Amino acid sequence: MIALLLAVLLAQDAPAPRYTEAEAQSLFNEASEAYSRKDFATAQAKYEQLIKAGMGGPAVLFNLGTTHLGANQLGPAVLYLERAYAQSHDEDIAANLAVARQKQGDQVVGADTAEPFLQRLAGAMNVQVVALAFLLTWYLGFLLAFLAWRRPASRWWFAIAASIFLLVGSLLGAAVGVHAYVARTVIEAVVIPETVKVREFPGERARVAFEVHAGLKIRVMEETGRYVRIRLPNALEGWTEKEGLVEL
Amino acid sequence: MARTGSAISGLFVMLAAASAAALTNQEPEFHMTSDRTKVGTEDTFHVDILVGNAPDGASIALPAGNDFEVLSRSESTQMSYSVGNGGAGVIKQLRRYTLTLRANRPGALTIPPAVLKTKDKSYKTEQLTIEVVSGRTREDRPRPRNPLGFPPGFGHLNDPFEDDDVVPDEGVAVPHGDSDLFLRAAVDKSEVFVGEQVMLSLTIYSRVDLASVDTVTMPKFEGFWTQDIQSPAQLSPEQKVIEGVPYRAYVLRQKAMFPMKAGESQIEAAEADINTGFLFAGRRVHRKSNPLKLKVKPLPGTGAVQNVGHWRLSVEATQTEVMLGDPIQLKVTLEGRGNLQNVQVPALQVPAGLKKFDPQTTDKPTVARNGQVGGTRTVEYVMVPQQTGTFVIPGLVLQYFDPESKHFEESTTQNITVTVRPGAGGATSMPSNGQPSSATADGPIKNQLVAGGLRQLRATARFEPQGPALWSRGFFLPLAVAPLALSMMLLGFGLVRGAVSKTSPEAMKRAQAKAARKRLAAAEKLLGSASTPAFYEEVERALRSFLEAKLNVPVTGLTREALDAVMATATVPASERARVLAVFERCDLGRYAPGMGEASARNRTLDDAAAAMEAWP
Repeated sequence: MIALLLAVLLAQDAPAPRYTEAEAQSLFNEASEAYSRKDFATAQAKYEQLIKAGMGGPAVLFNLGTTHLGANQLGPAVLYLERAYAQSHDEDIAANLAVARQKQGDQVVGADTAEPFLQRLAGAMNVQVVALAFLLTWYLGFLLAFLAWRRPASRWWFAIAASIFLLVGSLLGAAVGVHAYVARTVIEAVVIPETVKVREFPGERARVAFEVHAGLKIRVMEETGRYVRIRLPNALEGWTEKEGLVEL
Repeated sequence: MARTGSAISGLFVMLAAASAAALTNQEPEFHMTSDRTKVGTEDTFHVDILVGNAPDGASIALPAGNDFEVLSRSESTQMSYSVGNGGAGVIKQLRRYTLTLRANRPGALTIPPAVLKTKDKSYKTEQLTIEVVSGRTREDRPRPRNPLGFPPGFGHLNDPFEDDDVVPDEGVAVPHGDSDLFLRAAVDKSEVFVGEQVMLSLTIYSRVDLASVDTVTMPKFEGFWTQDIQSPAQLSPEQKVIEGVPYRAYVLRQKAMFPMKAGESQIEAAEADINTGFLFAGRRVHRKSNPLKLKVKPLPGTGAVQNVGHWRLSVEATQTEVMLGDPIQLKVTLEGRGNLQNVQVPALQVPAGLKKFDPQTTDKPTVARNGQVGGTRTVEYVMVPQQTGTFVIPGLVLQYFDPESKHFEESTTQNITVTVRPGAGGATSMPSNGQPSSATADGPIKNQLVAGGLRQLRATARFEPQGPALWSRGFFLPLAVAPLALSMMLLGFGLVRGAVSKTSPEAMKRAQAKAARKRLAAAEKLLGSASTPAFYEEVERALRSFLEAKLNVPVTGLTREALDAVMATATVPASERARVLAVFERCDLGRYAPGMGEASARNRTLDDAAAAMEAWP
């Protein structure tokens, strides 16, 4: 019943698809054929049509990112592959993402390769599954607790089961909370143009501190006007125009 | 052309000889004319001085002065014979002096009169005034006429004095002061595209005997790629006429130049040390050529195509069906006109199943008779199949700009399909000399299946609408908090209800019954025991403890009457007192009377005890 309720609620919040399943698959196939002909522009346009229609997903994002990678467009390639990886920690996505990062022109010297624990935790989980599991275990835990109260004859068994479920539910709830915290506080973006100038202060007259190049993943710290303060993995910071970045 | 000039001259000589007697002593004619009245300082012009019937021994002084430079001088004699009215023949001798002049400065300059002196008289021509301006007044001049050309009406005949070997060169300007020997640089085009060939010629023009050329210093050709076309060790002359003046032209150097960038290009002057004359009469002079300007136009379009010229691309494979491991040689040939060094042959894209080794490139430059540079570039690839199957080596496309048509052209080759079959032979590796070996050291070559590159695209997908994360939906938090809140509410409700129900009679009765049952719990456990007295003693003990709790007095050891009196004092109704006393009676009876050990009897006693406790006021 809870699952049914969730399905109804999820369906209400999701964008309405513009294609039927068959139409979407046909468009998907056409895009893949265009890729095989090395007609990357056509392939990209068709994959983007699916995404705009609310019919994206890890596979569509992976194909779109790989198509950009084939066309040597590093910025969009990393963007879509990162988005695909965020939805599905698939081996193929990780492999192509590694190829894209290898081609990327910036070497962030002294970067701490490991992300903070909370970010890693948030990145490692499939938050939709975890959130759903949390709700299920949480409700089951309370149901068993109620039964333990109302059925004195089997009170202990119900109480033990309720404790286990409530404990697991609490851990899952904490994981969802971590994900929500990271999502609200850590904003990551990808550099899209070939070269983006990063200045010491927000403004056209400010001195250019360094340049970053297409495909580099950075963290957006704050925003003022048309400038954002970015931070590289090695804590190097600067201001750049937000038009050159696309949020993950 | 046949030379007829000497025959015609002979005719005039014979006529003159035949009529020598008829030559009369006439007044000489003496005139000076110019073919131009306005010239530039860079122009040359002709002055003709005509002397007719000059007496024997007459001498002529041609005009002289510092305002003009005499570039050349020629002299010719013409005789005519006519018959007069009396039948006597008259011979007229006409002598023409032709001077080729050039003004040294601008202004209204005067050519002084020529003077003809005879034994007893002196004659002067009229002086000529020439308007001289700086530079040139006109580009094209008519070819110098033959002073002894055919009269009107004989135009269909070839001019006997015209020399086929003498080439007029009107594009060359004769320098001031060095008119006898000068060095000139010239290009065959003044406007070219980037990468288009332009021919530079360095020529010595001389009217003196040339012995040798010691040193030639060519300018720096910055912004050009150059190639020597002609650098003769032995100079050979060619007759040329510049503005009517005959010169011997010696080609000193010829270079093909290919401009590398667009814009106005300046080519500095070349220099040479030239020896003239012979032996002790010779002298060494230093000459400097004229600088040149060249307009280099950029290639049209976006600049993506840099190849210029006229090219043709072809591809040839040694074999298209091989065994696994056998090498395939593929030759890409580019031939045509243009700068071979600068042309980019497109790289061969080889399928992953064929291992391509570094190609060997051979250039064979050529120069056509007209000086056009070109050649052939051969790029030889060696490939060793690593996998079986059919592989398509895509055709090549070479785009180039053709300066002649001023359009971008394309030369393409066909795809080459190679079929590789499994086999035991073939090369296992490439030795150090780059040539594949057919020896198999480790057995047959295997079909190599190598992974790498990008992972393949997904063929299928789940087109799920992608909404925001579940936790970010509006319902998620209320849904998560709901069971906790509900539990808290239930707990609170229970507590409140419990607190309220403690004061009601029913609740009190229930509590009392509960307490009674609790007291009788030990007796209940003895329901099935073998010891009947123990059961009844436990029931009696529970009831006594109940009474002591309710009456707040010890009841142990009291007789039935005393107990009844205590209960009466506590205003316990008689019915309740009787019920309690009845239970005590049954307990006494149960310890001693037979049959009281039955389960039914025990249950009845237990229920009576409980009822007595529950019904307590």
